[in-house]
Amino acid sequence: MRFRTQLVNPLTFSKLTASLASLGKVCWMRLEYDVIRFTIIPDQGTQVWAQIPIDAIFDETTYELESNSDAINIEINVSVLHRALRSAVGSTSAQFRLTKKGKTPLLALTVLSAQFTPGNMTLSTTDGGPVAEDAQQLPPTANRDVVGDMGAREREVWITQEVPIKILHEAVVDGLHEPHCPDPDVHIILPSLQQLKSVSDRFTKLAASDSKNTRPSVLAPEAPGLSAASFSENGGSGGSGGTALSTNSSPKLELSANMHGKLKLSIVTDELRLSSVWSGLVNPELDPAQMSQTAYSQLPSERNRAAKDDGESGWATVRIDGRDWGRVLSVGRLSPKVVACFINEMALVLYVYLPGRRNREDSCLTYYINSFAL
Amino acid sequence: MTTLSLSLAPPALIRLHDALTCLSKFNETVAIEAEHDLLRLSAINSTKTAYAAFAFARELFFEAYAFSTDANSRAARHHQSTTSSAQSDRFCCQIYIKALLSIFRGRIDRKKDTAVERCDMEIRESPQQAECRLTVRMICGLGVIKSYKLTYEPATVQHAVFDRTKALNQWTADPRFLRSIIDHFSFSAEQLDMYSDSGKAVFTSFTTKITEGKEVLKHPVHTSVAIDKRDFADFLVENKLHVAINLKDFKAVVAHAETMNATVTARYTRPCKPLQLAYEFEGVDSQFTLMTRGEGVQGGDDDVPTSSRASIPQQLSARPTPGPALTPAERARRDPNPAPEMPPPPAARSRSIRPLTGLSTQENFAQRASAEQRPSTSSAASASMDFDSLFVPADDDRQWDEMNEEEEPQDILGWDATGQETFQATLRDEEPDFSRLTASSRKEAPKDEMGIPPTQRMSQIRGLGLFD
Repeated sequence: MRFRTQLVNPLTFSKLTASLASLGKVCWMRLEYDVIRFTIIPDQGTQVWAQIPIDAIFDETTYELESNSDAINIEINVSVLHRALRSAVGSTSAQFRLTKKGKTPLLALTVLSAQFTPGNMTLSTTDGGPVAEDAQQLPPTANRDVVGDMGAREREVWITQEVPIKILHEAVVDGLHEPHCPDPDVHIILPSLQQLKSVSDRFTKLAASDSKNTRPSVLAPEAPGLSAASFSENGGSGGSGGTALSTNSSPKLELSANMHGKLKLSIVTDELRLSSVWSGLVNPELDPAQMSQTAYSQLPSERNRAAKDDGESGWATVRIDGRDWGRVLSVGRLSPKVVACFINEMALVLYVYLPGRRNREDSCLTYYINSFAL
Repeated sequence: MTTLSLSLAPPALIRLHDALTCLSKFNETVAIEAEHDLLRLSAINSTKTAYAAFAFARELFFEAYAFSTDANSRAARHHQSTTSSAQSDRFCCQIYIKALLSIFRGRIDRKKDTAVERCDMEIRESPQQAECRLTVRMICGLGVIKSYKLTYEPATVQHAVFDRTKALNQWTADPRFLRSIIDHFSFSAEQLDMYSDSGKAVFTSFTTKITEGKEVLKHPVHTSVAIDKRDFADFLVENKLHVAINLKDFKAVVAHAETMNATVTARYTRPCKPLQLAYEFEGVDSQFTLMTRGEGVQGGDDDVPTSSRASIPQQLSARPTPGPALTPAERARRDPNPAPEMPPPPAARSRSIRPLTGLSTQENFAQRASAEQRPSTSSAASASMDFDSLFVPADDDRQWDEMNEEEEPQDILGWDATGQETFQATLRDEEPDFSRLTASSRKEAPKDEMGIPPTQRMSQIRGLGLFD
C-alpha cells in the first residue's frame, strides 16, 4: 500500500475540508487512480458524498498509488486534516504521503514554506503567505527590534504535519452506498450561497430567539442508513416509520422551489412568519441523451416545467433543520455552482460543482438532506 | 505603617492590563511585591511548573511611585541616603486577578470624553487597621472619577530560581516569528519540544495522552516546524538536545511579547531543568521560568543521551520571600483576631469588584497551591476567547463557518487557554534532587545581577525542610 503525491491546490483542498468538517468529523476518504472520494455520514443530519478528480488538488505527474484493491480507504478526522492543510496554504511545495509511526498509520503532510523576510529597515511587503499577512497588520514601528540576519531574503520553513488515520479494509466500506432517490420534482440552480446563507442564518436565529420552541419534537423520515440505500422508493411523505431525529427544537426552515425559476425560503413559528422569494433562477435542462424522449417528458420535473406558472401549483417543498442547512451552505466558500433537486416532502439533494474545471461534472459534491415531516 | 501609592498614565495602564492578562493564564491570583524602586507582579501555576513575573521599574514605568514602610521612614530620617532598600522594606500581597482585571474593563483607549486620564492606586496597611484594601482611582475626562476598593491578602511570594550564568543554551527571536511557528500547531496540542540539528531549529508539538482504537482519530496532529537558525537573532544551542515545555505557557508568553513587540530570549541548560523566557520593554522586565521535560520526540529515531525520556517534570525550585506580615507570630501580633481573617467586604459598590472569598490569610499560598490540585481554577481564571482570532489570521473564509449565535462579548481583552490542566501527574511523587537544587540556589543568588536578590539568610530557612 503506497500513496504519495504533491499538492498543487492547497487552498481548494483546505476550503473543501473546511466545508466537509462542518458536517462531521469522521470522513471516509477513498483514494483511487483518477479520483479522490470524500464521504461523511454523520449520525444525524446531512450526508455528503464528494468526488474530486485528482488533478483538482494533486499533481497528476507525481501521483503514486499502490494497493491490492485499486483503492485505499482511510478514515480521517477531516477537521484535523483541515487544520494541517492550513500550513500548506501559500507554501512553496507540499507533499502528502501515507506512512506509519509505530503502529499508527499516518497521513504525513510535508510543507516547504518560503517566506520573504524583509530587512529590518523596510516595512513588510505582501507575499501572500499567512505570516506576511500578520506582519502587515502591525503598526509601522513594528520593525524596531533586530532579528538575526538582517538582509531581505527568503526564509525557509519546513513544516511536517502528521495526521493520524485508520486504514479501512475494502470489506468494511463495501456496504456503504450512496442513497438512491426518486426523480426530483423540481431542480433549480441556487442563487448566491453567500446571500442564501445570510438569509437562512438570519431566519434561523430569529426563530431560535423567538421562542424556545415548545413544539413537540419533530419526526423525520428514516435517515439514510450507513449500509443501504434507504430513501424509500415509493415516496410516502415521511411520517411513517419516522425516527425522532432529536429532541432539540432547532428551528426548521421551509424551502420550496418550482420549475419557473422561483425559490422560496420561509420559517413559521408561533409568533412570526417570514419568507424570502428568489425569482428568475435557472431550472437547468437535463441531458436528453441519458434517456428516451417519452421517459424524459414523463419526469416529474418536466411535467412541473410544462405546468402553468400560476404561482400556486408545481411547487416542491422540503423542511430542513436551520443549523444543519447553515453547515451545508458553508460549501459556498468554494464558490461553486449548486443545483438543488427537490423531492417534494421527502428530501433535498444538492449537486455542488466546483468552479474552474473544464469538465464540471468531474468534481461534484452531493449533499443528501432529509425533509422533516410536519 | 506601610504605604504604597502610585500613578499610571494611560499607556502604562494598558501595559499593566496586558501583563495581568498574561499572568491570568498562569494562576488566578497575582502576587504583588512593592519594593523601593520596583513593583513586581508574579504568578506561579498550581502545579508549580511555570512561573511568570513582570518587574515594573519605578523611574520608567510610573508617573509617580512612593513606597514606605516603618523601617524605611525611620531610615530615611536618620540618613538621607537610599541605603534603605534592605530586604525587609518590601510589601507583599496577592489579589484575585479577575477582580483586578475587571476594573480595567472598557476603560482603556476608548476615544470617549470620559477616557481614563490617570490611574492612582494606593495601599495603606497599619497594625491598627484590619482591612486589606487596594484603592484604585481612575481619573477620567470631564471630571469623572471612578474608585474601586479591592481586597488583597498578605502572601508569601515565591520566585522561581533560575541561574542565567549556567544557562548554556540560548536563543533570541522576534515574537512575530515565534507566533508564525505556533500558528502551525494544533490547538489541542499540549507539549512543545525544541531541538536543533544541522543548522535547523525544530519545534515540535505533541501530546502525551495515550489514545487507542477509535480515539486515534481524535489524536491531535503531530506538527514539527523546522526553521533555519539564521532566522533567530542568535541561536547558541547544543545540537540534538531535546527540551519540552508546556505549549500553552509558550503561547501565553509569545502572545504577550507580541503585543509588546519585544524580542524574546530563551535560556536553558538541559531537560528537567528550568527554561527561562525573558524580554524587556519600556521599563518592564518580563521573565517566565518554565520547567522542561526531558523527552525526545516521540518515536523519533535520534535518541539523545542527554534527554531522559518520559520523565515527569519537576517543580520549579522556589524560594519563599516572606512579606513582613507573614511569620505567624508577627501576624498574630499585628492582628489580634486572626480567625475569620477577612473583614467582610463592603456591600458591593460596583459589580465589578469581586472579593476574595474562602482564602485564609494565614494559609501559606504555596502550600495551598500545591497541596490541592485544582484543575478547575485555571479555567475559571481565564475569560472566554475565540482561539481562531488569536492564532490564525482571520480571513473572509470565516463567513462560511457556522454562525455564532452568541453576541459579541462586550470586552475582547482576555483569552482562554481552555484551562485544561495538562500536567496531570502528581508532581510531588518525584524525588527532588536536593543536592543539586541547594547548590544552584546557593550559587545563583548573589552573583546573578539579573536574578532576584536574596531575601533571607540560608540559616533562616533551615528548618523548612527544603534546604536541610
